Amino acid sequence: MSFEIPIGPQHPIHVEPLMLKLKVEGELIVDVDIDVSYIHRGIEKALELRSYPQGLFLAERICGICNCAHSLCYCLNIEQLLGKEAPPRAKYLRVIVEELSRVHSHLLWLGHYFHTLGFETLFMYFWRDRERVMDMLELMTGNRVTTSYNVIGGVRRDITPEIDSKLRRMIEHLRERMKYYEAAIRSEPSLLGRLQGVGLLKPEDAIRLGTVGPHLRASGVKHDVRLDDPYSGHEEIPFNVITYDTCDCYGRVMVRIGEVFESLDMIAYALDHLPSGEYRLKMPPFFKAPVGESLSRVEAPRGELIHYSISDGGTNPFRYRVRTPTLANLASVAAMLKSRGDYEVYIADVPAILGGIDPCICCTARVIITDEGKKTRRITTLTELERYARERGVRM
Amino acid sequence: MNEGDVIAKIREKFGDKVLEAYTPGTRRVSIRVQPEIYKEVVGYVANDLGASFLSCVSGIDRGDSLEVIANLGYSTCILIKTLIPKNNPEIDSLTDILPAADLYEREVHELLGIIFKNHPNPGRTFLPEDWPEGVYPLRKEYVPEHPKPLRRGGKD
Repeated sequence: MSFEIPIGPQHPIHVEPLMLKLKVEGELIVDVDIDVSYIHRGIEKALELRSYPQGLFLAERICGICNCAHSLCYCLNIEQLLGKEAPPRAKYLRVIVEELSRVHSHLLWLGHYFHTLGFETLFMYFWRDRERVMDMLELMTGNRVTTSYNVIGGVRRDITPEIDSKLRRMIEHLRERMKYYEAAIRSEPSLLGRLQGVGLLKPEDAIRLGTVGPHLRASGVKHDVRLDDPYSGHEEIPFNVITYDTCDCYGRVMVRIGEVFESLDMIAYALDHLPSGEYRLKMPPFFKAPVGESLSRVEAPRGELIHYSISDGGTNPFRYRVRTPTLANLASVAAMLKSRGDYEVYIADVPAILGGIDPCICCTARVIITDEGKKTRRITTLTELERYARERGVRM
Repeated sequence: MNEGDVIAKIREKFGDKVLEAYTPGTRRVSIRVQPEIYKEVVGYVANDLGASFLSCVSGIDRGDSLEVIANLGYSTCILIKTLIPKNNPEIDSLTDILPAADLYEREVHELLGIIFKNHPNPGRTFLPEDWPEGVYPLRKEYVPEHPKPLRRGGKD
């Protein structure tokens, strides 16, 4: 007897509602289909209709959590098109805010991930510490969420000695907390049971399916745009690319924890070695870009982000293409959710596997379970799906 | 492998069928080829030059023709471009050599109306269910409607 379980399309925190149609036999998932048609906002078309400085505000709103990566990618793209480069101080400031937003995104993900697995204590801990990072973002940029920090030709404001000292205090605090959490996760058997061996993705499959970001690095592939294609002074700032060869959800958690440490070190280094000088080039409010094309890549918290623009010499881009990391990772979700051979995927593993790519799909609003044998339909709630996941946790 | 090597190797292998090859910036390679050999070039870059990571497939409306761009590689971004006529927008799908192309090609298909031959599941994925058939929003002839601004008092 096989069931079809649609998951989605509504969930509150991710900007891309997604529908997964799972075909299950008993508790085993045998097939999956993806539908992302619910909130196509036509931003690529809208960017063609706006001037370059206006486009920045739209590009920043492509994603709420990765807004810093999007605005940085947009600015790099337009700067490349104009043949300009941000001053060295701006590059370092961009790195500080980019890494702060990476820390905040990873903490948000870690908290939410453990929440869906039923570990509320870790959820509370991670989100409490994330507030410290949000406060720092607000101090530095003026905004908690949509930072509006990057502008074409530099950044919007400079850093003050007061912010500098507060940032250093935050880094020290967070480093201690993260060490504690890391040890807690490593030594918690019920958590390990929920993560280890779940959502296996071999390195060759990960590359074949075009996976990016922490998800790819958890499969043991050492790819990070900051390393392979440095874009904002990353040649000078030392950092390690964290990889794990466990290829499962455990690896995905540990990669992100490792990256939080690396990001904190990068912020500390950037603060110590902050170059002096201008933090912003003077740019006219309206300008025309020369005919040409430019492709910029940024390592967003969820993976490689690509912006590609073509200019026909006007004030608006002729074509603006955005490839977000979640789209790249979706193909691998479909592969990971299918049971094959010894590899078995249960319905209770869906939040763990989906959550692993950081799409925040775990907040599924409701689930319709269709019983093909009995031709009945029943609607379950998110709570019920989470209870499924938690009971499995308790059993182990 | 640096930008020059990639261009030299592709020129050597495909000769005159490579219409244009240049480097738009550091670690960027742009190659324009004839549509017949588009898939072959992508296969060569992925298998023989070792850039088997497909990071995206994009489409552009160039007036009379449509352009398809495959973007490959981790460190050096290799853009393989080809122009196809707008009245017969067909091109080989890359899904059998690079499964990552699946979602990207579906997106280009829906937004620009390019037909990818032998694509395994060309169903609707990106646009809403009630979107009219045959309307491709990223083509230049499609002009989005702007809602009228709200006025105080609700008049017009």
